[in-house]
This record gives sequence, C-alpha cells and structure tokens, in this order.
Amino acid sequence: MADKGDLGSTLPLSRVKTIMKSSPDVSSISQEALFMTGRATELFVQNLARVSLEQGGNKNSLEYKDLAEVVNSVELLQFLQDIIPKKIKAMEYLKMMQKMQDEDS
Amino acid sequence: MAERPEDLNLPNTVITRIIKDAIPDGVNVSKEARLAISKAASVFVLYATSCSNNFAMRGKRKTISAQDVISAMEDMEFDHFIQPLQQCLDTYRRDQLDKKEATEKKKKAKEQESSVVIDLDTNGDSNDDNAEDVEPEADEDYNPEEEVEEEEDEEGEEMDSAKGDDAEVVEISDESADT
Repeated sequence: MADKGDLGSTLPLSRVKTIMKSSPDVSSISQEALFMTGRATELFVQNLARVSLEQGGNKNSLEYKDLAEVVNSVELLQFLQDIIPKKIKAMEYLKMMQKMQDEDS
Repeated sequence: MAERPEDLNLPNTVITRIIKDAIPDGVNVSKEARLAISKAASVFVLYATSCSNNFAMRGKRKTISAQDVISAMEDMEFDHFIQPLQQCLDTYRRDQLDKKEATEKKKKAKEQESSVVIDLDTNGDSNDDNAEDVEPEADEDYNPEEEVEEEEDEEGEEMDSAKGDDAEVVEISDESADT
C-alpha cells in the first residue's frame, strides 16, 4: 500500500502551484519545493481520511461529522476549524446565544 | 494573477482516489466528507506555503526551497511527514539525475548504436538457440508415449468405424434384400 501510494496518485502540480502563488508575499517557488508541497498534501489527505475514519463511530463510512470531530479535537488541525466547523442544530445555537447574552448582562 | 476561484480547488477525482487508497476497500465516503477533505487540502497547501515562505524570507531568499517546505512541516507540527517527504525528495533528485544521465547517454548511444544493436542481437539469438535445444528434448521424453496412445486410439476408432461401415453395408444389403 505504501509503495503504491508513493508511486501513483499525484496531484497536478500546476494546480498546486496556482494555489501556492495565490498566497501573498510568495515570489517564487523552486521545482523541488513545489513537488514537496504536492507530496505533503497527499500525505495530509491520506492522514486526515484515516484518522477521521478511525475516530469516527462507523468504520464502514466516512461522514462530515467524523472530520469535524477530528478537526475540533486534534490541536494540529486547528487551522481547519473555519473550513470544517462542527455542525450544530439551530436550537443549540439559539441556546448558546442566549447563554452568552445572559453572561454579558 | 487573476485566477478563477475554482482554480484554487484541487481536482475532485484525484482527491477521491487518494482517499480511497488511504482507507480500506468498501468504506463509503460521503459527498460532504469528500468536499470537506478537498477544501482542507487546499487550505493545507496555503498554510504550508505561508510557513515555507516565512522560512525563505527569514533566510533572505526569494525562492522557496525544498528545505523550507521541510522546515514548514516541522513548524506546523506535521513532524511525521518529514521522513517520508525526505525520502520522496531523495528519489525525486535521483530521478532528475537519472533523466539527465539518460539524455546524455542517448547522445552517446546514438554514436555507438550500430555496435550495441549487433551485440544485443547475437545475445538474443544464442539464448533462443539454447531454449530451442532444451525444449525438443523435453518433448521427446513425453511425446512418444502420448503419440503411441493416440495412435492406438486412432486405430481403434478406425477399426470401430470400419466395423460400423461394415454393419451399415450389411444393413443396407439386408434392406435391399427385403425390398
């Protein structure tokens, strides 16, 4: 499995480069750095999928809530919290707002 | 630098394949989960780029290097990515070297092409000859018995059919006698 992953399934580096260039202050990227970022992203996707499946309740399916749970609980995934927020019901949200108002007053 | 917003997404097909390779077969990945992972991957690229760029700027360099990406992984606390990435980098560098050498060799090879081709041909022929030498012997060990059996069978069949013919002839003659 690991060997297979190392050989195949490569992200298009042209697209990775576009994303990298969209970051402010970036002037130029060496070919090696581009390649490395692509690989790192692959590792990241594999890791995120695996960990979310392991931590999730159902071993036969990977759901959004599994990802949100992992992103919320794992410290080094904090940078994803705005991208994959935990979903809450409107009722819970209203309760939260109520609580905050109570605390303020 | 006017990229369309969809240019900042990574292709779904590739993301889906990477996810499928990472988890056991038969696990269902919901569409929402796939989209979330895809977005997360884009954000990861941006985050890594920003960190790598910081290292480049600190070193007063304009170009992000492979080492900057590795330093960024350490900074982001994705330490467990460093070793596989280092390995990837080593193979990548070796591949690039091999490619360079291959193109240089091609130039040289073109000059020596004729002699090399002749060498290969003679080798190939001698190998073929050996193979042919071995096979017939093996056939000789096995075939005679088979052939004998087949011959016996064929003879038997011929005898049977001959008898059958005789019988038919007899029947016909009987019929002709009746009519």
